[in-house]
Amino acid sequence: MSLTSLIIDNRWVLEVLYAFVISAICMAIVFKTDKLYKISLHKGIRYFRNVFFFYGIAFIARYIFGVLSDSAFEYVLFAKVAFEYFIVMAGFFLLYSLIWRKFESQKTHYFTSLFNSKVAIFHLMALIIAVLDVLWGAYDFMFYSQIIVFVFASIISYNNYIKNGKERKFLKFSFLAMILGLSAWILNLVTEMYLSWSHKALFGIGLINIAFFFLFLYGVIKITNSTK
Amino acid sequence: MTTKKRERLDVIRDIISTIKENRQIKPTRLLYASNLSPQMFKEYINELIEKKFIKLDVDGKDKKSFSLTKKGSDFLQEYKVIESFIENFGL
Repeated sequence: MSLTSLIIDNRWVLEVLYAFVISAICMAIVFKTDKLYKISLHKGIRYFRNVFFFYGIAFIARYIFGVLSDSAFEYVLFAKVAFEYFIVMAGFFLLYSLIWRKFESQKTHYFTSLFNSKVAIFHLMALIIAVLDVLWGAYDFMFYSQIIVFVFASIISYNNYIKNGKERKFLKFSFLAMILGLSAWILNLVTEMYLSWSHKALFGIGLINIAFFFLFLYGVIKITNSTK
Repeated sequence: MTTKKRERLDVIRDIISTIKENRQIKPTRLLYASNLSPQMFKEYINELIEKKFIKLDVDGKDKKSFSLTKKGSDFLQEYKVIESFIENFGL
């Protein structure tokens, strides 16, 4: 049995498994970082937690509503909009967690970091991107927006690594994670444009995504356990 | 030369560390050691008491002093983790 037919034959099982693994990783990261946030009230940790909250919700939304429900048009449409909206929000929060100091101080207090005047623009942009993709019947707006986000996130992570990489060992993994994220989004775009959603290519992208999430989980667990 | 402004978390660490080193410390001495304005000092102290990181003891002669609680002591351990987390992820 070839890899392609193996993937096609077990597509739904693989997709549900994939969603479950990523959602579980995200929940573990949210749980760990929420504990740190409650002690420190540090905004960077708060936004970092939100990244994985939105990634987790995105994968749950896509597969619970999209794969596990019947394939009625309204379910598929809702799943697509919800998935895109949450995943774009996660990307925006990922970048914002690295640059929040330029826009607000530690003292500025918001009742919630999920929706306030500073991040309202993310919600608006995410909604516009999700709706435009539905209207266009494609994923281009999401892909391009996330490629831009990950280009900036990669540059910032690289600068952090160059500045403090000797003292802080995980910075190189953080940079590597950003590169993996960027690669996955570029490959998604290439697969859509030139490979007609090849199953093999999508399987490869899935593996890159899992590596991306595992790398963050590894960092969170390593740091929260090692210095105690 | 400019000095880096202490962040909220660093101020809390400094206050708790000072109390830990002294076991018990009078409010005036802690204010000087914290290097904060009286207003800011009051805000931080109230927050730390509210969170049960430190407690205010009053002796028979009505003299006040601060001491550390177990939660405060645990925070000093957690502080290292938090600092490492912020720096390792560039947050």
